[in-house]
Amino acid sequence: MGDRSGLQAASQLFWKQGCTMMFKDVADFCICVSMTRRGLRLGMAKVTQVDFPPKEMVSYSKETQTPTDTQTHTQARPEEEEDEEELAEAKPAEDSQEKKADQEEKQEEAPPKELTEEEKMHLLHSDEFLTFFDRGSRIVERALSERVDVCFDYSGRDLEDKEGEMQAGAKMSLNRTFSDERWSKNRVVTCLDWSPQYPELLVASYNNNEDVPHEPDGVALVWNMKYKKTTPEYTFHCQHPVYCVNVVGTQNAHNLISISTDGKMCSWSLDMLSQPQDCLELVFKQSKAVAVTSMAFPLGDVNNFVVGSEDGSVYTACRHGSKAGISDVFEGHHGPVTGLSCHSAGGPVDFSHLFISASFDWTVKLWTTKSTRPLYSFEDSCDYVYDVMWSPTHPALFACVDGSGRLDLWNLNNDTEVPSASVVVDGSTALNRVRWSHSGREIATGDSDGQVLVYDVGEPICVPKPDEWSRLVHTLMEINENRDEGDELAAQRLVA
Amino acid sequence: QAEVEETLKRIQTHKGVIGTIVVNAEGIPIRTTLDNSTTVQYAGLLHQLTMKARSTVRDIDPQNDLTFLRIRSKKHEIMVAPDKEYMLIVIQNPSE
Repeated sequence: MGDRSGLQAASQLFWKQGCTMMFKDVADFCICVSMTRRGLRLGMAKVTQVDFPPKEMVSYSKETQTPTDTQTHTQARPEEEEDEEELAEAKPAEDSQEKKADQEEKQEEAPPKELTEEEKMHLLHSDEFLTFFDRGSRIVERALSERVDVCFDYSGRDLEDKEGEMQAGAKMSLNRTFSDERWSKNRVVTCLDWSPQYPELLVASYNNNEDVPHEPDGVALVWNMKYKKTTPEYTFHCQHPVYCVNVVGTQNAHNLISISTDGKMCSWSLDMLSQPQDCLELVFKQSKAVAVTSMAFPLGDVNNFVVGSEDGSVYTACRHGSKAGISDVFEGHHGPVTGLSCHSAGGPVDFSHLFISASFDWTVKLWTTKSTRPLYSFEDSCDYVYDVMWSPTHPALFACVDGSGRLDLWNLNNDTEVPSASVVVDGSTALNRVRWSHSGREIATGDSDGQVLVYDVGEPICVPKPDEWSRLVHTLMEINENRDEGDELAAQRLVA
Repeated sequence: QAEVEETLKRIQTHKGVIGTIVVNAEGIPIRTTLDNSTTVQYAGLLHQLTMKARSTVRDIDPQNDLTFLRIRSKKHEIMVAPDKEYMLIVIQNPSE
């Protein structure tokens, strides 16, 4: 109740001026009436009713994205949920009711049942899941790496993207590098081979990783050139380091040949790998076993082959027949023979008697099976030459790799003193293996740190012109003449 | 099992990948890297779409089957690798 004096003043106003007053309750009115003097003058007063709406309770109905009582699988959630619960409690009661209603709706729309953590883990460990995941993840990884945009709009866009493709004229350019953090790092690439059936597939074998003794010693990885994903397609491991394998023969009648430093050559049937089909001891002159470090079969030949040994000699041999075993010895290298390659580029002239060898003595030597002395020695390298291979398509072209990380391409028809193309691999690794692809357009090389690098070779270099074969005949004649002259000179010097 | 985790992590950290979900035959998500409501939405909708795509392929040729589903939109690309029992969903922003 207000003070009386105020009320008196107000009531006088009322009666005199006829102003309206709002009384909080009847008591005020009565007092007002009783306080007036005599001479009441009552009159009809216009009462205007003013309605004030009840004071509004401002409320927020903001939904959270993660309703607090729904399960999620990650462990970090509980803390956030607690915070949200506290916030929820602070809001007026209406909110939580709204939220609950929403949650119920959501759960009705959601799948009929949720799985418990246990059920999920059980599913994730099941065989069907693992099979599904192996295939599904491989496909998805390939798809993720492809950047083909079929919706790309060339008009009005920058053509800066196109500049990278202008370097096609280069002699040899690095196309891909394949390396796997877990399986290939710190292992030496011991062997490489391209698939004859799927030209984009390449298999690489690796020896052991000294830093991780508990991991398998031998690893083989299948890489795919077609897709941009950086992980191997398939991974195989075995307990022993893999050095080299070769499959000879046709699709129906083939053998796996393996050869080792103990001088034994075994041929295996792929159906029964527990025991070799037959073994051949490679002995030279009935005494010393040949410690074989490399082997090559001429194209199409499953019987005759050449082997290189630790002592620097190359031997021809044959697997079957009365003269099974070592036939001839080719001496010339001063160090272990690391790689051999028999000529395989078919054409108008047959050069299958030619083969080349690489050695620790820093040279690559050209031989013919018709002579036990080397035809020519390529001496451009300053380090151990680890591998050499003829091009499968160009008769006068071969590639070699050495310990300084250099990959050289030699074209006998161009120059025999220096390589026609050369590239040095980044990093201080040695290149252990070199393999031309079946098309003769790409070269794969493996290094001592588990990396497989694939180079594109420029067309002018690797695609043979029709006259390469006849030119090679001339080149060989020149080489022969030079060799004979050289021998004569050497013989004269000895006499003098 | 560790390999599965490693592979999932590798996929998830691939350039542009926004989310990865593994869904079972009933459309229930069993592994996800997205928040719950988004997961439930994607899983439900894509499960239905994949079933429809599969039945379309089968109706045209009963000997055929769906092997991969790819939805390219203005903003994203959704890839679904389906199987009899499960489905792997990956959402990628290809312009990144």
